[in-house]
Amino acid sequence: MSDSHNRSQASARRSDYVWQYEYYDEEPVSFEGLRAHRYSIVIGFWVGLAVFVIFMFFVLTLLTKTGAPHQENQDSAEKHHRPGSCLVDIDGHQDENDKAFSRPLLAGSRSYFNFFISEDDQGQAKQKTEDKRTGKHNGARAQQGNSDRPRGISSSGVDEMEEDIEEAGGCQHLNGLIGEGKIDRECAFLSHFNIPNFVSLDHNSTLGEDDLLYEPSAILERQSRDSHCDVH
Amino acid sequence: MNATSKNQSDCPEVHVPIPVFLTIGVVSLIENLLVVVAIIRNRNLHSPMYCFICSLAAFNTIASLTKTWETLMITFANVGQLEKTEFSESNLNDVIDSLLCMSFVGSFFSFLAIAVDRYITIFYALRYHNIMTMRRTGVILGLIWITCGVLAVLFVKFFYLKVTMICFVVFFIISLAILCFLYTYMFMLALIHARKIASLTASEGGKGALTLTILSGTFTVCWAPFFLHLVIMTVCPMNPYCECYRSLFEVHVVLMMSHALIDPAIYAFHWKLCS
Repeated sequence: MSDSHNRSQASARRSDYVWQYEYYDEEPVSFEGLRAHRYSIVIGFWVGLAVFVIFMFFVLTLLTKTGAPHQENQDSAEKHHRPGSCLVDIDGHQDENDKAFSRPLLAGSRSYFNFFISEDDQGQAKQKTEDKRTGKHNGARAQQGNSDRPRGISSSGVDEMEEDIEEAGGCQHLNGLIGEGKIDRECAFLSHFNIPNFVSLDHNSTLGEDDLLYEPSAILERQSRDSHCDVH
Repeated sequence: MNATSKNQSDCPEVHVPIPVFLTIGVVSLIENLLVVVAIIRNRNLHSPMYCFICSLAAFNTIASLTKTWETLMITFANVGQLEKTEFSESNLNDVIDSLLCMSFVGSFFSFLAIAVDRYITIFYALRYHNIMTMRRTGVILGLIWITCGVLAVLFVKFFYLKVTMICFVVFFIISLAILCFLYTYMFMLALIHARKIASLTASEGGKGALTLTILSGTFTVCWAPFFLHLVIMTVCPMNPYCECYRSLFEVHVVLMMSHALIDPAIYAFHWKLCS
């Protein structure tokens, strides 16, 4: 009995794929006494799928909208965020420096979303990258004279990261040769300034506010040892 | 041949016309073949990310080729041009089934590889060239292809066991979960960072959300119906509700094939293959 059932299932499977043999089993399925609509599973499945996709879209859009950039809200919220915590106290004290840093940072903000947005915006983003790169080198030199060294380095570290991500997500990174060249330029820049490796936004980063304030040099040395340039 | 003696059930099988299958198959074959050839011939595109996209397109090519071949064989067999023997037919069915299974499992693995590669690109950008070398990419791709080949043969040989079906469905659910999690995680961390530098515009975030929804949405919409079909076939073959769902089998297969059609648009052309 089980053998014939298996065989009929196997032939049902073959008929599923090839649509040649009889599709149904030997005994016809009785449709007597159905309480719900015949296609209730089909309808329920598609409705559930549509709800799921729309719900996912709304959740994602809500995530982008509720993050309205008010500085004071950001400070209180971000102190609870472990990922990127090394940026927390830096942004907190930077109300007065915002105008100085905002232009290169603004231009680089698109880089994370280059991955997501279409290629139409990439053309604009690429142009902005060129402007940002020249602006960044000027800005970095200006920051060198800044007394708050970790803050300045971290901001340019953010620029470094964004430039990396811009390249990684953008068109030119796909060209391996050109990507190598840019990474090498960054390596020179990095080793020159001893910039810590802020790229890994994973929450394994153990840098806290205290670490950054009290032991900046140790962290910088440790991170520069681990950095990309030393491996080459 | 036995259909005429069958009682007509209340949920007759929905037939999709053969030209639809042929059109979708041929168009997706051409598209994916174009992607594969463009990536192989263009030296600038020999980066890990494009290798994974090329592998995805190769699996889709195999899937569309096999599906188109099967449709043609069925058409010729129905018309009477082909001579069928019991032996050759079952062997041919097995070959076609295992090729299809291999390409489906392979495209899942390629999706996962692309998502992991993007994750490393974004969050380990400075060390990306150390983590993802071309040699490692080659090893990963070789492993993927060998695993898919072996899995496909095993799946088809032991299809009648319930364990096989359960493994297949569980594999699909796990890949879906990993894909959604990885992309949502990348999106959220990118959002947090962009918010910190106080420059996220609503349109960019909205576009990011839309792209992410399209990516995971099309994957789910195209693959879930077929897998639910497999589950229903195993769990409730005699239930009338289940039978009404099963009668839509060809529609679900069309959805799967259209995913091979949409894939190049989402993954490859989205990055505008640069020359």
